[in-house]
Amino acid sequence: MTAATATSRPIEEPFSTSGLRLRDIAARREVQIVGVMILIVIVSTIADPGFLSSRVISNVFIAAMVTTFVALGQTFVMLTRGIDLSVAPILGLSAVIVGFAAQDHNLSLWLGVLLGAGIGLVLGIGNAMLVSWFKLPPIIATLGTFSVYGGLQFVITGGQQVDQVPAQYTQFGIATKTIVPGVPVILLAGLAVTIVTALVLRYTVFGRAVYATGDDSEAAFRSGINVRRVTFAAYAICGVFAGVAGVVYLTRTGSADSLTGTQTNENLNAIAAALIGGTALTGGRGTAVGSFLGSVFLSLTLSSMGIAFGIPNQWQPAGIGLLILLAVVADPRARRGGALNSLRMRMRRTYR
Amino acid sequence: MTTTIGVGPRSRISAWGAVLAALLVAELIYFSITNRNFFGGGTGMLTQIELFLPTGILAMGLALVILTGNIDLSSGAIASLSSVVVGTRLAAGGNVVVAIVTAILVAGAIGLINGLIVALLGIDSLLVTLATQFIASSFAVSLAGDSPPQGFPPGFVKLGQGALFGIPISLLIFLVLSLITAVLVSRSGFGRRLVLTGHNASAARYSGISVTRTLIGVFAASGLIAGIAGVVLAAYFNAGRSDSGMSLLLPAITCVVLGGVDIFGGKGRIGEVVLAVLLLGYLTQGLLNSGFSSLTATMVTGLLLIVGLVVKIAFEKQSDRSILGAAADKLSARLRSDSKSFT
Repeated sequence: MTAATATSRPIEEPFSTSGLRLRDIAARREVQIVGVMILIVIVSTIADPGFLSSRVISNVFIAAMVTTFVALGQTFVMLTRGIDLSVAPILGLSAVIVGFAAQDHNLSLWLGVLLGAGIGLVLGIGNAMLVSWFKLPPIIATLGTFSVYGGLQFVITGGQQVDQVPAQYTQFGIATKTIVPGVPVILLAGLAVTIVTALVLRYTVFGRAVYATGDDSEAAFRSGINVRRVTFAAYAICGVFAGVAGVVYLTRTGSADSLTGTQTNENLNAIAAALIGGTALTGGRGTAVGSFLGSVFLSLTLSSMGIAFGIPNQWQPAGIGLLILLAVVADPRARRGGALNSLRMRMRRTYR
Repeated sequence: MTTTIGVGPRSRISAWGAVLAALLVAELIYFSITNRNFFGGGTGMLTQIELFLPTGILAMGLALVILTGNIDLSSGAIASLSSVVVGTRLAAGGNVVVAIVTAILVAGAIGLINGLIVALLGIDSLLVTLATQFIASSFAVSLAGDSPPQGFPPGFVKLGQGALFGIPISLLIFLVLSLITAVLVSRSGFGRRLVLTGHNASAARYSGISVTRTLIGVFAASGLIAGIAGVVLAAYFNAGRSDSGMSLLLPAITCVVLGGVDIFGGKGRIGEVVLAVLLLGYLTQGLLNSGFSSLTATMVTGLLLIVGLVVKIAFEKQSDRSILGAAADKLSARLRSDSKSFT
C-alpha cells in the first residue's frame, strides 16, 4: 500500500507505522484534531468563562452523536473510494418509520434500533446494487437514491409528523441520563460503536479488504479480494449506520417529519466530519476514530461560535465550509498536482 | 481504435440523443392527452416550463464543469446568493441593469475562487465546492435577513414571467445561453481545451494546454451562469429568496448526467443536455399539473436518472462490465453461436 503511493508520487514525510516517533504521532490527524479542539476550548473559555462547564461539554458530545453514526458509515464508503449522498433521507426514513411505530404502537427502544438498522440495510443495499452491480458512479447513484428515498419519506409521512415519541426513547437522548457518572448514555453508545468499527477496520480481513479496495481496486482484485463484494458490503453497512442514526435522532429530538435529515444536510455534515477526521475522498485512507473526532470537532466549533462568540446561527454553515477547506488544505496528501504544488516542487529541486 | 473526444462527428445524431428526443415527444403527447391544462394551445405549453428554466440554466454551467471531470456543488448556493444580491439592490432602489450586473459578478467571483482553489492547490473540486456551497449559502441567508427583499419593478419581473411573441423570456435566455455554451464547447479553442482536460488531464498538460487556466475559466464560467440563473429565479419569484437555489442543484446535475455527459469528464454534448433539461422540465411540470406533489416529481426524477444510467452504462463497452452489460454480452454470444449452428 505505502509502496504503491510512494512510487506514484513523492511523499514529503515518509509515514511509517512501526516505531512511534514523536513526529509520527504529531502527524496523525487524530492527534492534530484533539490539539486544535483543546485550543478551541481554551479560547472559548477565555471569551466566555461559562463555556467550560460540564453542561456545555456534554451537550457538545451529545449533539455530535447523530453525525457520528452517519459519519462512521460514510467512512466505510469513503474508504472504498466512494461517496454516499443518500444517507440523509435514509436517516429521515428510519426516524419517521421508527417514530410512527413507537408513537402509535409503543415499539420498544431495542426493537426500534433493530427496525432502524433493518430499514437502513434495505436502503443501503439499494445503493450497493447500483454501485457494485450496475457500476453507476457512486455520486450519481446516491444522488438518484437521494431523490427516491426523499420522495418515499414524504409519501410515508403523508403530511403528518412524529411528535409524541415515548419517554423510553427521549430519555436516552438527554445529557442527564448516565450509567457511568458524568458520561451520557448516548455518548457511551457512540464510543462503543466507534471502537467496534475501529477494530473491525483495523484487524479483520474484511476491514483490510476495505482499505485495499479503496487504495487500488485493481491491485486488490489481483490479490484475490472480491472487490465487488467489499464495495457492496460498504454501502450496505453505510445504510445500517444511517438507519441507526435515525433512531439516535429520534432520541435526541423526539420528533421527525418528511424533511428530517435532508433539511439539516446530514449527508454533507457526515462527509465533512469524515474529511476533517482525515478520511480521504480518494479512498484507502481514514479511521473510525478520526470520523468520531471529526464530528465532535464540528459540534464543538459550532457551539463555540454560538455560545462563546455569539455568532448568529446563519453563519454556522460558513463555519463548516471553512473547516472543510482548512482540513483539506492542511493535508498534504489531499493535494494532487495543482499549479502551486508543482511550482513548489520545482523550486525545491532548483534550490537544493 | 478511434476515440471520439467531445462532440464527435457533427452530422450524426447519437443514439442517446435520439432516445432523449423520443422520450420528450412521447411525454409531451402523453401529458397533452391526459391533462387538459397542459397543452394550452401551443404557447401555453411553453410557459409550463418556466419554473424549471433556472435549473436548466444552472445545468449549462455544470455541464462545462463536469466536462472537465470536476463537479461544482456550490452552483445552487451561488444562484441563491445572486438572487438575494439582485433582490437587495433592487429593493434599495438601484438601477435594474446595475443590480443584475452586480449579482452576476458576485456569482462569478465565487466561481473564480472555486477555480483558483481547485487549480492552484490541486484539491478535489468536490471538497472545495462542498465548502464554498456552505459559505455562499451563509452569505445569502445573512444578506437576505429576516424578510427577504421582494416586490421588484415590472420590467425586471418580466425576465422570469414575461413573454416575447408568446415565447417566455426566460426560455429565450435559456436557449441563447445553451447555444452559446454549445458553440463554446464544440467550436472554440477553450471548448477543445476543457474537453481534453476532462478526457485526460495529464495528456492535455503534455500537449501544451494550461490545465490550470482552463479550470479557473470553467469554474468562473459556472459561477457566472449560476449568477444568471439566480437573477432569473429572483424575477420568477418576484423575491430574492436565500433558499431558492440550493434545491436546483440536484435536478441540474441530473439533467447534465442524463444528457449523456460523462461524470468523469471528456465526453458529452450540450445539445443532449438541453434535451434532458426539456425532458425533465416537462416531466416535473406535467406531474405537478396532474396533481402530484413536488416530492413525487423529485422521486420520479431520481428514478429516471438511475434507470437511464443503468441502461446507458450497460451498453458501454468497459473493462469492468456491469452485470446487465455482462448478461447482454452472454446473450449475444449465445445467439451468435446458435445462428452459426443453424447454418
